[in-house]
Amino acid sequence: MALSLRQRQRDAVVRMLNLNHPVISGGTADEEVYKVLVYDNFCRDLLAPLIRVNDLRKHGITLYLGIDKERQNVPDVPAIYFVQPVQSNIQRIIVDASRGMYEALHLNFSSSLPRPLLEELATGTLKSDSLQRVAKVYDQYLEFVTLENGMFSLAQPLSYVQLNDPAAQDQDVEAVVESIANGLFSVLATLGVVPVIRCARGGPAEMVAGVLDSRIRDHLVSRNNLFTEAGHMGGLGTTFQRPVLCLFDRNFELSVAVQHVWSYRPLVHDILNMRLNRVNVQTDGKRIPYELDDSDSFWVANANAVFPQVAQEVEVRLSRYKQDIEEISKKTGANAEDFDDNELMGSTTALKKATGSLPELIERKKIIDKHTTVASALLGEIKTRSLDSFCSIEDEMLSKGSVDKSFIAHLKGKGTKEDKLRLAVVYLLAVETAPPAELEAVEAALRESEVDPSAFLYVKRIKSLNVSLSSAQAASKSNLGVWGGQFYEQALSSITAGVKNLLSGGRQAALTRVVEALMEGKPSPETDSYLVFDPRAPKGSTGAASVSKGPFKEAIVFMIGGGNYLEYGSLQEFAQRQQPTKNIIYGTTEILSGNNFIEQLAVLGRKMGVGGSTPASSS
Amino acid sequence: MSIAMGPSTSGRDRTSEFHAIVDRLKKTQGATLPYANGSSNGAVANGNGETARLLPQPSGNLQSEFSKRASQIGLSIHQTSQKLSKLAKLAKRTSMFDDPAVEIQELTSVVKQDITALNAAISDLQQICEMRNDGANQTKQSSEHSTTVVDTLKSRLMNTTKEFKDVLTLRTENLKVHDNRRQLFTASPNKPANPYARQGPLASAAAAPPSASSSTTAALPPWGNGATRSNELFSSSRRRHTADGPDSTQSQGRLQQQQLAPVQDSYMQNRAEALQNVESTIVELSTIFTQLATMVAQQGEVAIRIDENMDESLTNVEGAQNQLLKYLDSISSNRWLILKIFMVLITFLLIFVVFVA
Repeated sequence: MALSLRQRQRDAVVRMLNLNHPVISGGTADEEVYKVLVYDNFCRDLLAPLIRVNDLRKHGITLYLGIDKERQNVPDVPAIYFVQPVQSNIQRIIVDASRGMYEALHLNFSSSLPRPLLEELATGTLKSDSLQRVAKVYDQYLEFVTLENGMFSLAQPLSYVQLNDPAAQDQDVEAVVESIANGLFSVLATLGVVPVIRCARGGPAEMVAGVLDSRIRDHLVSRNNLFTEAGHMGGLGTTFQRPVLCLFDRNFELSVAVQHVWSYRPLVHDILNMRLNRVNVQTDGKRIPYELDDSDSFWVANANAVFPQVAQEVEVRLSRYKQDIEEISKKTGANAEDFDDNELMGSTTALKKATGSLPELIERKKIIDKHTTVASALLGEIKTRSLDSFCSIEDEMLSKGSVDKSFIAHLKGKGTKEDKLRLAVVYLLAVETAPPAELEAVEAALRESEVDPSAFLYVKRIKSLNVSLSSAQAASKSNLGVWGGQFYEQALSSITAGVKNLLSGGRQAALTRVVEALMEGKPSPETDSYLVFDPRAPKGSTGAASVSKGPFKEAIVFMIGGGNYLEYGSLQEFAQRQQPTKNIIYGTTEILSGNNFIEQLAVLGRKMGVGGSTPASSS
Repeated sequence: MSIAMGPSTSGRDRTSEFHAIVDRLKKTQGATLPYANGSSNGAVANGNGETARLLPQPSGNLQSEFSKRASQIGLSIHQTSQKLSKLAKLAKRTSMFDDPAVEIQELTSVVKQDITALNAAISDLQQICEMRNDGANQTKQSSEHSTTVVDTLKSRLMNTTKEFKDVLTLRTENLKVHDNRRQLFTASPNKPANPYARQGPLASAAAAPPSASSSTTAALPPWGNGATRSNELFSSSRRRHTADGPDSTQSQGRLQQQQLAPVQDSYMQNRAEALQNVESTIVELSTIFTQLATMVAQQGEVAIRIDENMDESLTNVEGAQNQLLKYLDSISSNRWLILKIFMVLITFLLIFVVFVA
């Protein structure tokens, strides 16, 4: 049985909304209780892509309010709190309880509430004489955001900067590692599995793996039932096969995070700034929000397709829709002359059928409209920034490891500053040893177009410190079709004709290859040095047991320091190609577009003292 | 600390741990509070799934009244929908011989009464809600809460009504099908004015000896065929089938039908009445339905996300800023206007003073 994280999380949330009573399948547990939901910002982000207002209503939630917004008394109504276990929230809860805002407080914390805070809560409510208002205290272990069935984010911003900051103190790094391990623990508790942990030697990945391993160990000893409980709740959830948790550090492969992309979902994320499965598309000066998630069949089908193919697909759907409409109008309209009794009966049923199928058709129309708008917005951006050429150059560089001389011209041509910077960084990562003259030229070109080169310089410095950084890229060479460049001048509708089908999965990400090797469990030069943590195994015998070597059917891949949809798509494609299909969940500390990541690199560059406001001094 | 791991606590439920801490704190502080049994109280209440009514407040009498009523209505809607599902099961039965007409009729009237009563109850509730909202000590959010409760109940009732209507429509259709079938097999060949033109061949087949008809229309329970097997099949069925019994000994299908004719007639009338009943109920229902539809505010929140209003508030803030800017503009232009008017006035005054005075 597949690990569906999103479903598990939704089930957990629904159970919480029903005051933690088990939910009878399909129905609501206690329909007669009307409740108020109070959440903080983190939990709002968690809930927003997961559950809609009408679902909330179905479970008896009448009002949903932010904890730090101004709230008014709603006496005689129980309230469900879903917040992070932090002190400010505890203080707010105590205030609410003492003021008697709601009849009863059902407290749910997104992860484990530390003992001191629980004591603070107890003292606070005792002091204000409002103890009886606290009905329940629950740890929900839900401190992560699931965006797709196989993708989650811990929503911990700037973790790459924090982990790679040269000036960072040990305790800062430890705190970050701790919170990442905490989030991962939540994920595992929700899934109800104890995985085998694999990670590369050294770096944040090993630190996280160590902390997580000891946490799971402690937990399995003391309160054994968190994992077994989840297994029971999932029914068939307990598989004999344990998944493998692969931890990676962003430094493992930087180029994926900065390169330009060409398939649909990464494009939408990168260009239109998709956040929590929602994009705002600017049309006629108005910003219209669109939802893009698992419920959208088109999105699911075409997420990894390259952009021209998506445009084509929109056309196909549109024509099919038109055809269906025509058919219906023919059926209902044509036979009206025959006033035979039976025929009349027949035509009314046809009419009925037509009205029955209308909602479905409307739904389809909506999806088509949505994707047409999104695709044309993308097309506009692609045209103005000539992203296609950026994309093709970067891909060529990464796959061949050599550079076309013309790319410096691109640094001076179209595109935003970030685009140029990203191209330059990809160039650095792609070529193993760049000739100094060329580096000079690149820097000069960057400066010419007034780009802050600190990110570029940071990567340059890192690279000189650690030559092996780019070795991962050098290994991934395969031929790639040349990008066709001319079709953007045509309108969206005519793209369908005569487009060269471009490859997207031609070059496999280094991450995917390593994950494949780890899942196979066969010895390979790339993964032999990887550490093994098995929380189930007795202490001391790490790595010895054969069970922790695989092969694995299920994997959780976690990228520390920010991931993106390109990697997710690559892993997904790999999982589906396999026979029988494997199941991979991809997670990351935060989801970053290329521009976001380059900003983080720039921050690091400035901290390191390279670049900054006076780029001339650093070169 | 060890108390915290008390019996039946799952890893997630920390309530008992919380109460353990509270108890310890109480002991250390020596504070004797009247709510000492609050925890056990709560636990019992939770066991019954009645957390909402934990510790009723003396102050919120009106509110309690409201929530009590709301939950009652919710419960009875639930019961009604259960009845409805039973009714749907009955109505789905397409068999012609043990048609549970009486039961269906009873159930229909019960459900109809229920729905009318619920409709009235909800409008009452709405009145209470409005009354409360007019009251001075109501906060905006609590009135919002009660409005939402009323809306939810309304839409649930509307769904139930819709279901009811569907069931009745199904029932009518079934009855019609039955009638069709009956006409098919009872129509004698000397009635050529058969409105069902297509059924001509079938009707003649029915007029043929029973064995032939059973083979041609295997899907339908053929009249003649049923008659020959009546002893086993109809032992449990109703009066009109027992009336069938004696005739069934006849081997000639045509003769049998002629003799059946008077019985058939009364049966048909019964059927027609039943049909009319159902149809009138549907009409009544549809009036209720439209009434409800106008009452229920368009619930356009089907696909709203909880962070939606953030964007809205942002746009609102921006709009407010724009308005303020506009106001600033208008003020500054007003200032100019005032100055101009003053200048004009002063000039006139001067002219007046110099020339007239």
